[in-house]
Amino acid sequence: MSALVEAVQAAVGGHVLAVVPGFGPVTVDVAPEAWHPAVAAAAAAGATYADFLTAYDELGLGFAVVAHLSTRDASDHLLLRTRVPRDRPEVATVVDLHRGLAWHERATHEMFGIGFVGNDDLTPLRTQPALGAHPLRKDFVLAARVARPWPGEKDPAGDTGRARRRTLPPGVPEGWGEQA
Amino acid sequence: MSDAQEPAATDDGGYAVPARSRGVITLVEENCTVCMLCARECPDWCIHIEGHTETLPADEVHRRPRTENVLDRFAIDFSLCLYCGICIEVCPFDALHWSPEHEYAGTSLTDLTHERERLAAWEATAPTEAQRDA
Repeated sequence: MSALVEAVQAAVGGHVLAVVPGFGPVTVDVAPEAWHPAVAAAAAAGATYADFLTAYDELGLGFAVVAHLSTRDASDHLLLRTRVPRDRPEVATVVDLHRGLAWHERATHEMFGIGFVGNDDLTPLRTQPALGAHPLRKDFVLAARVARPWPGEKDPAGDTGRARRRTLPPGVPEGWGEQA
Repeated sequence: MSDAQEPAATDDGGYAVPARSRGVITLVEENCTVCMLCARECPDWCIHIEGHTETLPADEVHRRPRTENVLDRFAIDFSLCLYCGICIEVCPFDALHWSPEHEYAGTSLTDLTHERERLAAWEATAPTEAQRDA
């Protein structure tokens, strides 16, 4: 087991929800209130290089926030992950520990609408504030996807007259875009 | 697969991209069964396929009449393609291949939609397995 993982477990053990080996590096799931202490514990144990921080939308489960932290010499690394609820997507900022993550927190705030408490500069990088939406949330409808017909909808056997179940593009939830 | 040529080299002969480069996608028309898998898997909807079915009469081999899909149109819009290669991976009949040819810039967006004849012509530039793995 990685020394970084052990350090995080020692520091916020009660808040560690799971340790997932995956295909490596190990992912440590922590409760949202332990996000900052966990990143701090990893940094204290040598993970002073923050490679990236991002999020992904888990629909009803909320949003997962993930950070990849490594030692400077890349001898050890881990993924720290927490999950914030959809109705209150907030987690503490870790910019005080890794200043380089300021950009990532801005981008994650812009794309997922996740608040990083204590980070006062969450100005959007690409979108206009007037957009009023977060493009990487799964409920965000891409206008181009709605306006254009899906080429996969075509059926070469369509002229047989047999009714075929309507297929959806991969990754597109049922009913998505209908109200747009 | 047809006979492959060496990957493109520049006029001065000094630089050529590796044979395994993702330059352009080639089509082997006779392998395509119009199954639509590539068009449906394409993440940015850049493959356009049209086809119809024809009924073939019974013969000595096939005791009953059967229907067969016939390809009418196969086009890839390289102005949208992100060169992920999912279409090539997903094709059950090996009808799509990578070619390292990449010099096909156009003066309009529609020039970048390669119809079946053009995609089939690229096939001559697809590397053999040995060239690709060299």
